[in-house]
Amino acid sequence: MRKTFHIRRSLPHFVFTFATAFVLPFAAISTAAQASALDLDGKSVNPFQAARGKVLVLIFVRTDCPVSNRYARIIQELSARNRANAVFFLVYPDSKESQEIIRKHDREFGYRLTALRDPQHVLVKRSSAQITPEAAVFDAHEKLVYHGRIDNLYEDFGHSRRTATTHELADAIRSAIAGETREIVSAPAVGCYISDLE
Amino acid sequence: MSVAVPKYLRTALPVICIVLLATAISSESFAQNKSGNSPQAQATFTRDIAPILFRTCARCHRPGEAGPFPLLTYADAKSHARQIAAVTQSRFMPPWLPEEGPLKFADELRLSENEITRIQAWVAQGSPEGDPADLPAAPKFVEGWQLGKPDVIVKATKPYALPASGSDNYWNFVFRAPVDRTRRLKAMEIRPGDKRLVHHANVLVDRQQAGRRHESEPGDGFAGMELTIESEAFDPDSHFLFWKPGSIPYVEPDGMSLRLDKDTDLILNTHLQPSGKSESIQPTLGLYFTDKPATLHPVLLQLDNDRQLDIPPGEKHFVVTDEFVLPVDVEVLAIYPHAHYLGKDLQAIAKFPDGRSQTLIHIPDWNLNWQAVYRYQNPVKLPKGTTVSMHFVYDNSADNVRNPNDPPDRVVAGNRATDEMAHLWLQVLPETSDKQDPRAEILEAMARHNLQKNPEDFEAHYNLAAFLIRRGELTQAIAQFAEANRIRPNEPTANNAFGAALLAAGRPEDSVPHLTAALNARPDYFDARYNLGNALASLGDFRGALAQFQAAVRINPEDANAEANLGSAYAEIGDNKQAKLHYQRALQLNPNHQLARENLQQLGANPGPR
Repeated sequence: MRKTFHIRRSLPHFVFTFATAFVLPFAAISTAAQASALDLDGKSVNPFQAARGKVLVLIFVRTDCPVSNRYARIIQELSARNRANAVFFLVYPDSKESQEIIRKHDREFGYRLTALRDPQHVLVKRSSAQITPEAAVFDAHEKLVYHGRIDNLYEDFGHSRRTATTHELADAIRSAIAGETREIVSAPAVGCYISDLE
Repeated sequence: MSVAVPKYLRTALPVICIVLLATAISSESFAQNKSGNSPQAQATFTRDIAPILFRTCARCHRPGEAGPFPLLTYADAKSHARQIAAVTQSRFMPPWLPEEGPLKFADELRLSENEITRIQAWVAQGSPEGDPADLPAAPKFVEGWQLGKPDVIVKATKPYALPASGSDNYWNFVFRAPVDRTRRLKAMEIRPGDKRLVHHANVLVDRQQAGRRHESEPGDGFAGMELTIESEAFDPDSHFLFWKPGSIPYVEPDGMSLRLDKDTDLILNTHLQPSGKSESIQPTLGLYFTDKPATLHPVLLQLDNDRQLDIPPGEKHFVVTDEFVLPVDVEVLAIYPHAHYLGKDLQAIAKFPDGRSQTLIHIPDWNLNWQAVYRYQNPVKLPKGTTVSMHFVYDNSADNVRNPNDPPDRVVAGNRATDEMAHLWLQVLPETSDKQDPRAEILEAMARHNLQKNPEDFEAHYNLAAFLIRRGELTQAIAQFAEANRIRPNEPTANNAFGAALLAAGRPEDSVPHLTAALNARPDYFDARYNLGNALASLGDFRGALAQFQAAVRINPEDANAEANLGSAYAEIGDNKQAKLHYQRALQLNPNHQLARENLQQLGANPGPR
């Protein structure tokens, strides 16, 4: 619903200047490219549509980021634990990481959740993501309710705990599923800078 | 009849030295540089950043090495530019813990303030590439074995399966030394396996094959962060055999090779970090030998004060100290400070007899993951009477994110990652002296020093006894062995040495209970079997002796002394046929075995040519 509203506001000029029959499909393609990421077959995917009213969790990772790789099992376990109420996607923001590289990486690290490529950083911007690994949680109304670190395993480069003592992502997912109204909470992540990929 | 030489015991973490890759590009010259720019002026990759990356980063950040991504090209650097700026500003990268001081280490990986500022400026300006003509030549690296093909290559028998996740992991691989006679080792290349997974690795020379007793099956290896092994008294381990990311093998100078005997084990102690996926690690060692005799004999000076380590939870500034007065002149070649996760500020200082002080090393933000052996660019001369001291500070509060306990808990000394350590090792080359081996002087002084700190120090009593034996002071040695035995009544090595000393003192009756205790703890203990055989023979119990020598020969069929003594035991009970067979076997193993030769002649047999 939100997406439709957004399109009409941003493209009023086209609607009135051209014939409706032409403009509508054009507009649909254009926004799909802008507001969607790509699956590993190169097809556009809109994770918000896929979530269909469930909580949506996007986890930004990079195949060559050692910090995000060390989180593979935690990410996989979180997604399995919340399967009934939340939809998870791994999001690869590095346009240089090919489908093949990502497939191989997911296989090696035991990921079973769906991977998306976000070469245009559409999801990065919508999630305010800055780091890999970083998570974004959207509630059932597609509202961003959390973005930031998965937990506090890493305090800084070279300053990691033996085990995490706070679990911000798990907490945010739980709140979102419970429908608790919260301000957007952000906890800075430690890892590789997404802005380096621009 | 002879007794087996007492063994020397020490707490040991293995170790080697690190030298640089030979890309001798001075980034400082670029920083101050061709354009004469200040760091705040326009910085480009080709002119300002590439020289820094090539000198300090590329050794690890290239395919096949420890770095998680390459940093060899503009595209590589651009795609990690902000990360590079962040980790260099915090000095997390390149990993180099010691603070800059008047003493220089070989292969210092420290960036200058100017270089750090230049990287910041480059990123702030949008990470421009610059003029391709400015790009220096790419660093050249040796592929494969860094010193050429090793004389011998040995691979771990079985791989270790590193779990995908969890906290840091410590695994020991036991290699059977691939030598059929005593060789002199001048270098060892440690290939730990996938370098991205290994924080560091140390090799310990295990002359008594003590480590393998921890293996469930031969070749399995075993878990553990720190090791305690035995080594012989008067060829103490003195070489650092250490690997960290980016290091290449250190070649010992002429005359400073390491003895490697047949039937010696090499234990590779590895600190591993899970990567996120299951990994298989199967390290390889490359050994380089020399025919040149060892003429320089370094020794490891080990300061520690684990006994002071009893850190209350929440304590942010817990200090542990130790100091040792050098009994001889030495040159310090290398230094190795060691603490676990609570270690914060580690410092070593030399106070000269004239009152002057010299910082030997200062690590203001200790990080176990980047521990290393630091080799001085030039040996540091310390005269006799110099006090070498360590001053380590520990943080056991919740503010220390590396604290393994949540909430913080009382922490004492121990070998586990959740325990602590306070060790400072210095590789020193003592000034040679005519009167006695200066190494023995140092090590005996260390043992006495340790007993002052802790009269209940088992190893110090044991080691002191070994030195006293060497000097022929048997009565005093027996008193020290008795102390060691009182502290650890069931320790097989000490029981054997105590028994051997009593035997040498003409007290075979007193030796039997200790040798028996050693064998109860370790039935396949060759030395104890051999010594018990001798003790029983001295008491006239030749049948008892025969059984012990038979067992000894089963354990080690290659020992000429055991064969000869077995022959003597047979002779004593009147079985000359068996006696001859075993004397002959002893002579096969050692054609110069005097006792076997003489006894064989007494039995009327021809011992054959020497």
